[in-house]
Amino acid sequence: MAKTNKGNNMKKPEQTTLTLGFIPLTDSAPLIVAKELGFFSQWGLDVTLQKQNSWATLRDKLHAGLLDAAQMLAPMPLASTLGLGCTPTAVITPLVLSLNGNAITLSEKLHQEVIAENKITHLTLPMAAYLLQRVIATRKAQDRPKLKFATVFPYSCHFYQLRDWLASANITDQDVDIVVVPPVNMVAHLQSSEIDGCCVGGPWNAKAVRAGTGLTALTSFDIWQDSPEKVLGLLESWYKQNPNTVLALTAALKQACSWLESIPNRFEAARLLSSEQYLDASVDVIAPSLIGSCLTHITMPPRSIPSYNQFSKSNNGTINIPEYVRGEWLMSQMNSAGQLAGVNVPVDLVKRVFRPDIYQQMRLTLEDQKVQFFRHSG
Amino acid sequence: MNRTHNTSSLNNQAELCILLIDENVQRAESISCALNNSRYRISHLASPGASLLKQVDEIQPDIIVIDIESPSRDILESLQAISHFNPKPVVMFSAQNDTNTINQSIESGVSAYVVGDIEPVRVKPILDAAVARFREFQKLKNELSDTKQQLASRKTIDQAKRLLMKKKNMSEDEAFRAMRKTAMDTGQKLDDVAKTLLSILGTL
Repeated sequence: MAKTNKGNNMKKPEQTTLTLGFIPLTDSAPLIVAKELGFFSQWGLDVTLQKQNSWATLRDKLHAGLLDAAQMLAPMPLASTLGLGCTPTAVITPLVLSLNGNAITLSEKLHQEVIAENKITHLTLPMAAYLLQRVIATRKAQDRPKLKFATVFPYSCHFYQLRDWLASANITDQDVDIVVVPPVNMVAHLQSSEIDGCCVGGPWNAKAVRAGTGLTALTSFDIWQDSPEKVLGLLESWYKQNPNTVLALTAALKQACSWLESIPNRFEAARLLSSEQYLDASVDVIAPSLIGSCLTHITMPPRSIPSYNQFSKSNNGTINIPEYVRGEWLMSQMNSAGQLAGVNVPVDLVKRVFRPDIYQQMRLTLEDQKVQFFRHSG
Repeated sequence: MNRTHNTSSLNNQAELCILLIDENVQRAESISCALNNSRYRISHLASPGASLLKQVDEIQPDIIVIDIESPSRDILESLQAISHFNPKPVVMFSAQNDTNTINQSIESGVSAYVVGDIEPVRVKPILDAAVARFREFQKLKNELSDTKQQLASRKTIDQAKRLLMKKKNMSEDEAFRAMRKTAMDTGQKLDDVAKTLLSILGTL
């Protein structure tokens, strides 16, 4: 691995001082690791990580150029380019930062309701959605409010995963209410029964379990195996002006993703993430998902989900590539959620937004660099 | 107190209810003071969370004013995308000066409108402008959907007319009059009659 940017084929970055936006979540690990372990500086970049409180504001700041790049929910670059909920702004992604990482957690009240209605003694995990059917039917018969599930953003895998899980038992948006709640408020609202369940990323599921307020019924890996969760998003226009900066940024973040493959490194990452400037949460809620353990319930053992948070796989070199098929898959999810109704979708949309070519260019540069490194070291 | 809850209240000088989402209670109070003796009435909400949905439901605000750095922004974002709430003007503000640039990037009028830091003296004109802009946007949007609707029904009526002419050997005039008579006799809209005709004649 090259330790310096000098004497290699990587062209000098056009812009060297960057501001990246992130939302404090367990899967913001690649950005935090790249910053803390000096990967950005190895590539000649001086990066400031700016914590954001909402996806909508992160998006608007990226569009306005207040952020040079950002960690985004995988469907967001497509939504931005189409202008869903915003002015159409061409956003591209040259790198998939992580796979999986979300989970569905039920409030303790709903957990008990599911057990009582189905006359069972305990839940078998991952929980099948059909177990909700009796709860929904009883609530309807008794004229009680519908079950309310929360997700984090309209254009998020969380929302589509929740819909998919419910749909596996023929439960539709007619049978339950789906609302958006900021992750930071999720645990409190499970506790106060303002919501009955949620689909959210880490560390919020583990927090709910540790607090005794919820049961993590299943992870997003149980719903969709190895789908992109967070991507690096940046303006197409910014890439055109700063192609070498984008290559350096992509290389540094890919390096961080690869570093995060080893379990001991991930435990170290949990420690870095826990600091106040990042997640401001304790290691005991960050580490479990990072090392492949899904906390389930305060009285139940954790489940082993090795791919709970996946950042890189050396036996599958493709997971960080923003392949078109990934984009097409996300488009099909947006479509089935009714988000593309009446929207004019250009035929080349996915090819414009998902940029495996930039990723491949970055890999080639890295290969060149390795060759040079070995040549120099004799 | 008499307050209308729908967006039509934006059209006149009726009192407008504002839902203010700002964790800075002091700032919220000074904004509230600045709006004394105006048509705006503030319902302040310091720490919202998901109860924001409940609050929006209960208060039925005419305008929502929110700090751009509030995590609750994503809730507002979802009001239109996921739930089927009536659109409302949302005025966003930020204490950071640089966010003024966001102004241009936000879909003007839909419901988002960034104004930089909200100083009490500027509050009223900002709200006036936001309401006016929102009203204008809604009007354009309604006109557009009306036009689309009209085009669609004209197409349906034409289709039904052609089908009648073909299946019943009527002239164009006769077909149109037959449809109009049915519409008048049954108290339906012409394009509803056309739709029914298409589905019945189409299957025969």
